[in-house]
Amino acid sequence: MRVLMFGWEYPPYAAGGLATATISLAAGLARLGHPVTLVVPFPAAADGGGVRVVSASDVSPNLRTLRVASRLTPYTSPVSAATAAATAVPAARAPWARRAEPSAYRETLFEDVDDYATAARQIAALHAHDIIHAHDWMAYAAGKAARDVSGAPLVAHIHATEHDRSGEGRNAEILRRERDGLRDADRVIANSHLTKRHVVGEYGVDERLVDVVHWGIERPVIGDVRLPSPFGRTAPIVAFVGRVVMQKGPDYFIEAAAKVAAVHPTVCFVVAGTGDMLPRLFDRCIELGIAHRVYFTGGLSHPDIDRLYRMATVVVMPSVSEPFGLVALESLRAGTPVIVSKASGVTEAVANLITVDFWDVNDIADKMLAVITDPALARELRARARDELGDSHLGPDEPARLTAASFAAALAGHQTMAVT
Amino acid sequence: MDVCFYFQLHQPRRVRRYQVFDIGSGSSYFDDVRNADTLRRVATRCYLPATRMLTELARNEGARVAMSVSGVLLEQLASTSPETIESLQVLVASGGAELLSETSHHSLASRQNMDEFAVQVTLHRAMMRRTFGVTPRVFRNTELIVSDALTPLVASLGFDAMLVEGADAVLGWQSPNYVYASTTAPLMRLLPRNYRLSDDVAFRFGARDWSEWPLTADKYAAWIAANNGDVVNVFMDFETFGEHQDAGSGILDFLRALPGALRKNGVTMVTPSELAKRKPAGLLSFPNATSWADTERDVSAWLGNGLQYAAHARLYGLRDAVLASGNSELVSTWRQLSTSDHFYYMSTKWHADGDVHTYFSPYANPYDAYISFMNVLRDVEQRLGTAPRQLKTADRRPQTADRSRAATAKPKTADRRPQTAPRANGKRGNREAKTAGRSKKAKVRKK
Repeated sequence: MRVLMFGWEYPPYAAGGLATATISLAAGLARLGHPVTLVVPFPAAADGGGVRVVSASDVSPNLRTLRVASRLTPYTSPVSAATAAATAVPAARAPWARRAEPSAYRETLFEDVDDYATAARQIAALHAHDIIHAHDWMAYAAGKAARDVSGAPLVAHIHATEHDRSGEGRNAEILRRERDGLRDADRVIANSHLTKRHVVGEYGVDERLVDVVHWGIERPVIGDVRLPSPFGRTAPIVAFVGRVVMQKGPDYFIEAAAKVAAVHPTVCFVVAGTGDMLPRLFDRCIELGIAHRVYFTGGLSHPDIDRLYRMATVVVMPSVSEPFGLVALESLRAGTPVIVSKASGVTEAVANLITVDFWDVNDIADKMLAVITDPALARELRARARDELGDSHLGPDEPARLTAASFAAALAGHQTMAVT
Repeated sequence: MDVCFYFQLHQPRRVRRYQVFDIGSGSSYFDDVRNADTLRRVATRCYLPATRMLTELARNEGARVAMSVSGVLLEQLASTSPETIESLQVLVASGGAELLSETSHHSLASRQNMDEFAVQVTLHRAMMRRTFGVTPRVFRNTELIVSDALTPLVASLGFDAMLVEGADAVLGWQSPNYVYASTTAPLMRLLPRNYRLSDDVAFRFGARDWSEWPLTADKYAAWIAANNGDVVNVFMDFETFGEHQDAGSGILDFLRALPGALRKNGVTMVTPSELAKRKPAGLLSFPNATSWADTERDVSAWLGNGLQYAAHARLYGLRDAVLASGNSELVSTWRQLSTSDHFYYMSTKWHADGDVHTYFSPYANPYDAYISFMNVLRDVEQRLGTAPRQLKTADRRPQTADRSRAATAKPKTADRRPQTAPRANGKRGNREAKTAGRSKKAKVRKK
């Protein structure tokens, strides 16, 4: 199958799981022998339109990437403008931190999406394909435009719904586009059963057309790859990794951190990521008297995030809504136990996690303390999770295999429809 | 052909989600409400109807079974469901049930501390005498755990026979349908469980996808009669009748029809103490600890991962100090913490049998069970004054600007705790006075 994929490029500074997941999925499909043309919005808007082919032969001869100039990034939203500038000033920086550029933002978000669709139409005419695969709502219009040109079936991949991203503050236009894109697709891939339930329940997508594909991860490295805490041997690190937005629950992390700091003399906290809640968190840390114990790194490059995982004693994801939670897999792979919200898709795929209700700050704090003070617990979590990541259902090629199966189903359904 | 039925009655006193912030608060370790609710439910669905039925069957048809009641269940029944105890007393008095001995707290003491094991056996024997007026002659260890090292000790405690798992690995070519002797205690009779016929009722009775469903008393009695050997030992949880298999499955009707069906098929109901008088057909050896749990039939359900080892060792590490404290409430609590179920909930066997573990656990996952249990042990240590270090001490080298902040932030961590509760360094006498009342409340649940 020749795949035309509208996705997101691996960014220099990780914005979240989506871009990482997209590129690994594209590479996985290519390894399975399906030629993939990956179309990605190119952040340098000044480039002024057009399409650039980027050599990706180091990944696979089957994978090539087309970069389309656009201001789109996976997590832009039309309401975050006012806070975008403020988020660039962390209160404290960990020694290894590097500064990330604030994400590109334009008030003409929907125009950008439409421009992307126009470009998609041209690309679809130029690049032969059997199936179209679009990631999240901003790419659905592009996918549909491509289908208008080629008639190939469209598979819409959903990584997070607008409900997940924005909670009560969701944007009606995005909701509409997301719903229409999903209902219009020939088939839908959800990244968890949790997401599937949302898509079926909220958007009325036929559940028989929704496949669930959990993310996989590279096998854990054998041998001890842990790194010492830069704060000293007796100062364990409790880390938050992810966008600093309401959806990820960083405020609950800080509240729990204060409770832990009150009873543990040396523990330090690291918040890695940017987002519109940073200013509020700085203020709260000062109020709670823990500003000297909490380090905000801003967005980190992927190698730096990996180093953070290896330094941390535990990674905490108190997400209000977490369609999957790739950070959990990344952290476990680095040998770091994870405390994760029960409202996370990853709990469907991995058993050896500590789970919490995101709002139960005492519970989160209790479990943070348990992991940092009890070596037996940390050891067990690490060992069991490592065993589990070795299971085939979490293997790196599993998502690509299941995605290809979904493509085949879409093609079969498409042909049936064409006949009738 | 003979058949020997044995039913186990046990509910642990479940530990609540006990957080680090509860340490030193004097609040109960146990989920009293849940324990009582569960106990009442099981009593209504199983203990009362099934016990009454067995009494009736004993009087009218001469049915006889064996049972054992864990001490931790008996304690909880006394306050939550005294009518269950009365019902059991009537059954025992009717001659319908022979009571067996076990550890008072359904503990894993035999895997950790033989002194404690002997004490708990003695305690249980005293409870049986006090409550039922009988002295059991046959022993069954927690979850049928047995090893070659254990059998001589059980013999020395005055028992004639012991129930064991008829595990394939132990029996080899031999049939479970005979009485055996222990290689390490030749006078001790071993009664191996026939796990196939036991599980036909305990696990498969209500399974509609089972090829033999529905299982009738006639069919089952015929299966027993068709076995080779002297006696089929059918051992299971008493909760099978009405709880694990609910009444809608017809399990109680099955039980009612069983004695008649057995008689029709020429099968006689016998009790363990009768079997203990028989000559052994051979010797059995248990070089490794064996139990009736999971597919492994070993002790890995309770002591199989690092969490379970750490928690169990820490618990028993406190034993001497707890006993030396002279605080009977604390001793009693410590024994309640020794119940095997607490460790069962920490199992990380996720596949196959793991489903069973998850099903019975009051916790979201084994890590919650472990964290709560270890927090409880820390509280016990603080009450004993043996805590290695006080977790709740303030930062010893605080940044100056921050000292007052840390102090003011602290009470927020205590929002679930009564304001009057003593802190970690509080007066111990005061705290003990506070907690002394809580052992009166019964708690329970099923495993």
